[in-house]
Amino acid sequence: MEIKPFTDKPIKALEYDGRPSVDINGLGLSDDFLIEMYRWMVLNRAVDDRGYILVRQGRAGFYAQTSGQEASQIGSALVLQKKDWLYGDHRSQGSMLVKGLSASEWFGHVLGKQLDPTQGRMMPHGSGRRDLNIVPPSSTVGNQITEAEGTAMAQRIKKDGGITICYFGDGATSEGDFHVGMNFAAVYASPIIFFCQNNQYAISVRLDEQTHTHTIAEKAKAYGMEGYFVDGNDVIAVYLVTKYCAERARRGDGPALIEAYTYRYGPHSSADDDTRYRPKGELEMWRTQRDPITRMHAFLDGRKLWNDQKEQKLQAEIKDEVAKALHVAEESPAPEPITVVDHVYAQRTGHLEWERQELAAELAKK
Amino acid sequence: MATVEATKKQTQFTMVQAIRSALIDEMTSDADVVLLGEDIGPRGGVFLVTEGLIDMFGKDRVIDTPLAEAGIIGAAVGMALYGLKPVAEIQFIDFLYPGFDMLVSEGAKLRYRSASQFSVPMVIRSPYGGGVRGGNYHSQSPESYYVHTPGLKVVVPSNPYDAKGLLIASIRDPDPVVFMEPKKIYRAVKAELPEGPYEVPLGKAAVTREGKHVSVVTYGAMVPLALEAATAMQKDGVEVEVLDLRTLQPYDTDAIKKSVAKTGHLVTLQEAPRIGGFGGEIAAFVAEEAIEYLEGPIVRVSGWDTPFPYALEKAYMPNVERVRRAIKKALDF
Repeated sequence: MEIKPFTDKPIKALEYDGRPSVDINGLGLSDDFLIEMYRWMVLNRAVDDRGYILVRQGRAGFYAQTSGQEASQIGSALVLQKKDWLYGDHRSQGSMLVKGLSASEWFGHVLGKQLDPTQGRMMPHGSGRRDLNIVPPSSTVGNQITEAEGTAMAQRIKKDGGITICYFGDGATSEGDFHVGMNFAAVYASPIIFFCQNNQYAISVRLDEQTHTHTIAEKAKAYGMEGYFVDGNDVIAVYLVTKYCAERARRGDGPALIEAYTYRYGPHSSADDDTRYRPKGELEMWRTQRDPITRMHAFLDGRKLWNDQKEQKLQAEIKDEVAKALHVAEESPAPEPITVVDHVYAQRTGHLEWERQELAAELAKK
Repeated sequence: MATVEATKKQTQFTMVQAIRSALIDEMTSDADVVLLGEDIGPRGGVFLVTEGLIDMFGKDRVIDTPLAEAGIIGAAVGMALYGLKPVAEIQFIDFLYPGFDMLVSEGAKLRYRSASQFSVPMVIRSPYGGGVRGGNYHSQSPESYYVHTPGLKVVVPSNPYDAKGLLIASIRDPDPVVFMEPKKIYRAVKAELPEGPYEVPLGKAAVTREGKHVSVVTYGAMVPLALEAATAMQKDGVEVEVLDLRTLQPYDTDAIKKSVAKTGHLVTLQEAPRIGGFGGEIAAFVAEEAIEYLEGPIVRVSGWDTPFPYALEKAYMPNVERVRRAIKKALDF
């Protein structure tokens, strides 16, 4: 498969109906790995479907689904090694799961339980884990871009062989941080992949109102960096393009921008009403004709790697896995109120000690 | 003999030289300490704080950056998350605002938002304050913004000895520190420094001058002014105690309480505008926790509640007369 920067059309390995566009046998992907990619996408969607229900049940305050973007999330994250760093945004849970965050921790996060690695300090979707090099995202769009670049600079200085991947959406490319981070990365030849999931909407603002360029990928030119335009609903293509950029970065050949062209099925978040801005029929078209999971399923079918029996077994397994993960999260206690004054500094300051005493007195009254 | 002179260790340091010496000591002993900022490489920084350091430590550890403060702070946060100890120079603190979001939304909050899984052991060094004919964009004293951000520490030295010891303590601190350097007195005095690294602990104030009638609580470039005013008032029979806070977040409440318990009168002195300024915090603390010692009103001395002027700088800056009048107001109650 030819991986070239700055193409007019997205790089793809599969047609929308799942027929291969390229010689898959020559790509070095094992049958087991192809099935693993599929399994991750199915799990990603099942976790999200369950998470969204938690909001509708009034048990969680907020949820932003990745549905529709599973190929971008999974295909890119499967490239990462343990030492690599992941900076996400409000829609990165699929990638985080692949990097090692457990589904129960994720649900613990959504429910605000002690099981949440952030101990209930971040609203969804702000979880992360130090031991996995997953930095908890903030809600300020684009901030992670310069931070991720700093981490990549450190990786280069320390020559640890790792890379950083930084996820953001199409809207984030309008922020100054995008410009600053891209420029720094090119200047220092940092081992970083800027991975833009272009789902075509920043809440309600369409891509053509967001930017005047044809693609996001071509913005890389301005920084002397390579930009790759990939079909974000094609998990094989996303994996291969990301792998290509990761290998370049590990070799010391510098950063790259990847634009994964995709589409989100859900509203921006549980607090959004997407019927106000989507043209009629658009969502239905993507859902029925370009779905990343259906596409990979059809591909596996075509290669005789999959059948109804295997599908039923997988669906049952994942249903069970998700139910168990949620149960573990539900069992986890809520964070203790007194801990609100912890984790501001390595040690509580004198003022925080007083405030802790004040709060303790307040809690004792209740 | 000339040869002996040449090899003799420097013992007299200006504040700029003291800060440079702190950087050299920490970079020598800890390979994770890296510097980044604009013009800090061959140029040595516009105030020459990093002069020669790129030759000593190489460009991987003394990093000249593109002209983007958001990038400097953002990259410093990312380096610190990774485990380095970046010391970022912002050329003038007036230029920190493009990086404000990265400092306040990210650097200050990552420990909290990760429940201490991550920490951000970085220092933002930046010259602040007026008195150098720098106008609005080379003279501001914005400490209140940073003090009001939980997760940040704010340090303001007033002399070469403290500058070195506080900077070393800041670099070694596991949390992000905004280190404000009073550029007006960068080269005002030389002081003898011990050889090698030493720490001046964060959060501890110093009584710079003992007195029994009134406490002037201040920091940074206003400390020498407080001392000048104290000397001037001696002939009126007023003995002024000067307390140099050195750290504004966290600040030394015990030292303030002790001083006010002794003198019964409080004047706060800052260069920044008054409303919402740090003097108000000290006043509120004393009113809440030490009111029983007060024998008169708390008086705040500050710059005016205006942007910082250029040609009108003298009219803006606190001076001996302003401090003297404030002390009289506090005493003649």
